[in-house]
Amino acid sequence: MNSVDRREGPPADGYNFAYLDEQTKRMIRRGLLKAVAIPGYQVPFGGREMPMPYGWGTGGMQLTASVLGQDDVLKVIDQGADDTTNAVSIRAFFERVAGVATTTTTTEADVIQTRHRIPEQPLRQGQILIFQVPIPEPLRFIEPSEVETRLMHALEEYGVMHVKLYEDIARHGHIATTYAYPVKVDGRYVTDPSPIPKFDNPKLHMAESLMLFGAGREKRLYAIPPYTRVESLDFEDHPFEVQQWDVPCAICGARDTFLDEVITDDQGGRMFVCSDTDYCQSRAEEVA
Amino acid sequence: MQWHAFESPVHDSQRMFRQLLSAMSEPGTLAAVSDITVRHILPPAGSAVGAAGWATLLTLCDLETSVWIAPELNTGGLADALTFHTGARMAPSAAEADFALVLPATLSGQAPAFREGSDTHPDRSTTLVVVLAELEADGPWCLSGPGIADVRNLDVGQGGEALMTRLAANRARFPRGLDAILTCEERLTAVPRSTCITQVQIEEGVSCMLP
Repeated sequence: MNSVDRREGPPADGYNFAYLDEQTKRMIRRGLLKAVAIPGYQVPFGGREMPMPYGWGTGGMQLTASVLGQDDVLKVIDQGADDTTNAVSIRAFFERVAGVATTTTTTEADVIQTRHRIPEQPLRQGQILIFQVPIPEPLRFIEPSEVETRLMHALEEYGVMHVKLYEDIARHGHIATTYAYPVKVDGRYVTDPSPIPKFDNPKLHMAESLMLFGAGREKRLYAIPPYTRVESLDFEDHPFEVQQWDVPCAICGARDTFLDEVITDDQGGRMFVCSDTDYCQSRAEEVA
Repeated sequence: MQWHAFESPVHDSQRMFRQLLSAMSEPGTLAAVSDITVRHILPPAGSAVGAAGWATLLTLCDLETSVWIAPELNTGGLADALTFHTGARMAPSAAEADFALVLPATLSGQAPAFREGSDTHPDRSTTLVVVLAELEADGPWCLSGPGIADVRNLDVGQGGEALMTRLAANRARFPRGLDAILTCEERLTAVPRSTCITQVQIEEGVSCMLP
């Protein structure tokens, strides 16, 4: 079975390949090379207006547009699902303006744009994962000034981040941060891995694929190259832990995936299913 | 005089960029600018820059960038050809260059002071595009760090000491530093500032060790 959709006919008239003009792509490409060279450092870029509002993945789209080639196969996911509004719209957008082939199968994709999840299927070398990032600055909720946070990164002044995690422990008895859990990249920059659940944080460490992050409203991009050390911040007596569930996925029976809670009626009925729809579907097919 | 650029500016520069991106994210891996990447790429006749170096400049330079070219390399109308095709400005000094086209010898002795960025803006630094006579895997230079699973070896040929010593010094000044795209004819690789570089004695058969 061929799970790659190849679009018939040429891309939409009147647009450059992949929507952005070449000048903008070059500017973003230069930024991406610097981002890869300084893992975890946020490179400012001249973000463009995209034909959708901020908060819908304009940063990720600008990166995808700059990276994407006509022979690439694109996959777009939103919270792990290929069939939600955001994912469907962005996939359709690039089908139209770039004429690229698309897929929902993780292993077939060359470029994967994602909102808030990393696929369960480990990515291979050569694949590029592009994250949509709402607020790229992990220190922003502690220090509102960009001038100050930039200086804090320059001086490696990250003690305050541990204070924030400690306050969690003091208040709740454990680190209550469950998503956008701060990481330290290659032992230097404290970085926001975007609002992925902390369940996905271990997948960032020594990953085989290149990971790029784009924030459209904040106009920042950053990167984690393959085979890079990524540690989630923690304490010796409160080590980093990921979420666990008491039940397996109600559809495929997986016990090692990130599960979404789905409310099924108004009588308190609920079920837990994999958030990664492609992984769940392929497992369910195997079982059947 | 013929000044060739990309046959298909949009797609050739995209494929070339992807090659640069994967070179930068996996330092020390050799890639070739073949016909699959860029068709019929020809550097200006009479210049020492090879296909990979020329394609790199065409891909990354435009009217927003300033380029510094080492005097020995600025032959065959290279600067004019680059300005003609990309609109890039020639940097009056190395300290103002976004990109610098250099020979390994340029970095020996009284080397020009390229931009290393600042601690708050380390990205505002010069990217070196180095023109090499030799570039092979499995040499005396041992690379490790982000993008390298274990270690990777590189040979940049005779006279590469000054270049690699300069790039090795990056680690002490991190996050400031110089990123380098190494080119030799149609081959290229990259050594970003995050890479840790050590020299090993291959004569004695000592294998590459992690520092």
